[in-house]
Amino acid sequence: MDLNPPAGENYGHPEICFFHVVFKAAALAFYMLSALFFDSFVIIFVVTVLLSALDFWVVKNVSGRILVGLRWWNEINEEGESVWKFECLDQESLARMNKKDSWLFWWTLYLTAVVWIFFGIFSLIRFQADYILVVGVCLILSIANIVGFTKCRKDAKKQLQAFATQNLTSRLSSTIQSAFTVV
Amino acid sequence: MSHSDTIPLHPSSQSDIDEIENLINSHPSSVLPARPPSDARASIPISSAPIPSPAFIPSNLPPPTNPKTTPVPSVSSAAPKPPLPPRASEPGGNISASGFGSLPNTLTEPVWDTVKRDLSRIVSNLKLVVFPNPFREDPGKALRDWDLWGPFFFIVFLGLTLSWSASVKKSEVFAVAFALLAAGAVILTLNVLLLGGHIIFFQSLSLLGYCLFPLDVGALICMLKDNVVVKVVVVAVTLAWSSWAAYPFMSTAVNPRRKALALYPVLLMYVSVGFLIIAID
Repeated sequence: MDLNPPAGENYGHPEICFFHVVFKAAALAFYMLSALFFDSFVIIFVVTVLLSALDFWVVKNVSGRILVGLRWWNEINEEGESVWKFECLDQESLARMNKKDSWLFWWTLYLTAVVWIFFGIFSLIRFQADYILVVGVCLILSIANIVGFTKCRKDAKKQLQAFATQNLTSRLSSTIQSAFTVV
Repeated sequence: MSHSDTIPLHPSSQSDIDEIENLINSHPSSVLPARPPSDARASIPISSAPIPSPAFIPSNLPPPTNPKTTPVPSVSSAAPKPPLPPRASEPGGNISASGFGSLPNTLTEPVWDTVKRDLSRIVSNLKLVVFPNPFREDPGKALRDWDLWGPFFFIVFLGLTLSWSASVKKSEVFAVAFALLAAGAVILTLNVLLLGGHIIFFQSLSLLGYCLFPLDVGALICMLKDNVVVKVVVVAVTLAWSSWAAYPFMSTAVNPRRKALALYPVLLMYVSVGFLIIAID
């Protein structure tokens, strides 16, 4: 992955990108700076975890669908077993997705997890169990999204190959068939 | 976290999102209405090819991949599916249509719609689990569409209430309550799984979280009324209520001979939370 955003393009959905980033940044910033302003750990915990939970919801439900066209969820089927569903858009729409949007999506997703791990190591060194708890919860939320969307993307790539070969033969046969029916 | 409502699509309000959703789940009978000319997309054969006979079902489309019924991550095909009987066995496909379809043009609307949908799911789950329901079809199958938002809010609320009532060491009380409840739910679920029971991890977490609701109410009352006798009575009542709510699900999940082994830790956890509520002053 490259470090710079793809040039020559604007963001496709600037408001959604903004929301995608703002909750993550707010949670991290609040966690870092709150020790300066607030004495009470409870407020730090509740606000940070709340912002992280909001970010999880936004990424899973809104920005995942719109920025990269991926979605994952869990269902319990009739037999009472749990099934994880991963879904992606068809290949034409996927190819048309804004490159800058998806660059931002993936980069911020991985970056926040790395920063939380960094904070976690800090708290571990200082033996602050309370803060380890906060970092732990936020990390679980970030990693859940990362795992879900990465699995989605891998399946999407697998489908791309299958679909590409099938599409080719299908277009060929459909043109042949329409040629015959027109006659 | 599944989506179980169906919001009909309005063909007149075709936005990007609606079109994407239509591309995922288009039927040959519901051909897409006129699109804005700026969105000249390469169309998929089924909706654009000049098919004279309506009975012609193109066999060139990739067959729908049915979701596997084993707990293995399955991928549902995102290409348009022909309207064949496999439709009936794929509730996931229909649900995905409504999920996507609930996102109209602006950013504020989808947020509200999704939030409302999630909130109503929390309320319905709560009613299913906690309140006496004579029409509960099978207590073991409660919380089909589990969600973790309800338990999250209840645990945080309980922690906050306990922390508020405490006169000293507020942060420790909150951290202890939160960690106890979260870790406790995970450990209780693992306990049932290790006893050879059949539950789904997240469903059980969700249920144990929802069953905290009576204790939340009890903690709130105890926070407002500081009398010890009142506290004991309230905690006893809410404790019994919580245990009663959790009992059917836990007991049906395991072998009848191991019922007590599965239920005892649950009661232990709720009793310890009850003691925490009484002891805080």
